[in-house]
Amino acid sequence: MLNIMAISLKGIFRDRIFQGIMGLAVLFLFIPSAASLSMRQVTELSITLSLSLISFIMLLLAVFLGATSIWKDIERRYTYSILSLPLSRTAYLLGRFLGIALFMLLTALFLGGVAMLAIKVASVLYPPARPVLWIAVLASILYGTLKYILLVAVSMLLATVSTSFFLPVFGTICTYLAGSITQQVYDYLHTPAAVKAISPIMKQAALFFYYLLPNLSAFDLKVNAIYALPLNASGLLMTALYFIVYTSVLLAAGAILLGRREMK
Amino acid sequence: MNAIDISGLCKQFKGKKMTRVDALKNLDLQIVPGEVFGYLGPNGAGKSTTIKCLMGLIRPTAGTATIMGEPVGSVASRTKVGFLPENPAFYDYLSAEEYLRFVGKTFRMPEALLSRRTDETLKLLELWDARKRPMRGYSKGMVQRVGLAQTMIHDPDLYILDEPMSGLDPIGRALVKEIILDLKKRGKSVFFSTHITDDVEKVCDRVGVIVKGQLEALDSVENIVRKGIEGYIVQTRLGQGEHDSLKGFNITRRNETFVEYFVPVAGFNEFIALAGHHSVEVTLVETKRKDLESFFLEIVRKGNS
Repeated sequence: MLNIMAISLKGIFRDRIFQGIMGLAVLFLFIPSAASLSMRQVTELSITLSLSLISFIMLLLAVFLGATSIWKDIERRYTYSILSLPLSRTAYLLGRFLGIALFMLLTALFLGGVAMLAIKVASVLYPPARPVLWIAVLASILYGTLKYILLVAVSMLLATVSTSFFLPVFGTICTYLAGSITQQVYDYLHTPAAVKAISPIMKQAALFFYYLLPNLSAFDLKVNAIYALPLNASGLLMTALYFIVYTSVLLAAGAILLGRREMK
Repeated sequence: MNAIDISGLCKQFKGKKMTRVDALKNLDLQIVPGEVFGYLGPNGAGKSTTIKCLMGLIRPTAGTATIMGEPVGSVASRTKVGFLPENPAFYDYLSAEEYLRFVGKTFRMPEALLSRRTDETLKLLELWDARKRPMRGYSKGMVQRVGLAQTMIHDPDLYILDEPMSGLDPIGRALVKEIILDLKKRGKSVFFSTHITDDVEKVCDRVGVIVKGQLEALDSVENIVRKGIEGYIVQTRLGQGEHDSLKGFNITRRNETFVEYFVPVAGFNEFIALAGHHSVEVTLVETKRKDLESFFLEIVRKGNS
């Protein structure tokens, strides 16, 4: 498994898609000057722009790396040689996942470092009303990374059953979009207005999807980072546990499906 | 314990319009240790399906199979095999050396042994000069040789090779045949599929012919060759003895010095006795036999009908 993880990591670093996506990191250089356009909240805007850019890069990486890793192996018939080695399909899937997850963490570390530098420059040039809460910025980057690692697990699950590129890529994007709003839908369903407007069947269907789809808004700590709001330790712990359980379930389902798949 | 033991193996695929296609029908086959077995069959006969079942890439619909006593599909069964898939493809961002090291590590080879074996195998397969280059720049023949190298790196007791000569030039094919013969000398078992009967005749101990998912023939190469003897071409010198005594035999060629007769197996002793009795000098005796290709084509025709 570690062996697969190592060559997955090597493959990503040598991949042109990765190199292209990482080219976007150049945009960090423009953040302090772009943030200065806001006049008053320069530091807050630089935090927003930095976290959003990291988020965008990580989303692209999660979708393309997660969705294409297993699919490409099957499509290009690499699986014939890999799966005939003394390696279980579960180990292969976990190795591929861990390789991408480790890469996402390394990328977050690098981008996070560059982002913090950009924020620091902005905060020195335009001191904010409230001091920057670095721990919140760090937590926001870390939890954002966990969110995209979870998304990688979604894309890998879809790739284990898919025969084409479309399901893993578009399925992951749809899951990302839906997962980002499920909490809002859930909150709305529990308002008095929704009780009158939504039929019980629709409500049940919405609740079903709320529990089925990942709740990605739980990983969003941008507001805490931007406005230097204190973090809720128990909330962070719950989200971390949610990440572990949900990702494990996705990977277990992926391992079962890949185990049953025939490499014709 | 057999190297490969297949018993009643069946594989059905879903066809178009809910139909079922029998890719393998009740296959029984045993490969003994140290044997080189050629698995012949036309395209779509079930050769690759058999191999994929053995390697756990697809699940048989019925029947059982073991590799060195381990049930196929288990990780343990794959630890004892070197497998070359048909038209192999490997992570092309890796170099041949990196890929071989990856395979060796998957087989948990000790570092020192892995380094030594990697170097030896790369040199043997003539990949030494290209060992550091990513495989995306390799020719088809080079990729095929990397495929062979990765089967040999851990020196397994059993080799399962799906069309090992495919994509190789005559020099590459000769090298592969040499390697298979060397493996045979070292007591390794080799199970390989091919279309090329000439390869089988030169390196195999036994041959199986599969047609439409059914094993139609299974015999040793020696037996097939022996059974294939149709008669003899006997050359005699003219101007000596009484050639009229041999007129019961068909003349296939004649010139001013020699006559060539076709003598059926059953008539050979009589021919020699007559020639001796009438002082006819026999200058050459050649066996006329069907080659393996004729045998193969005959089986395929029978299977198709």
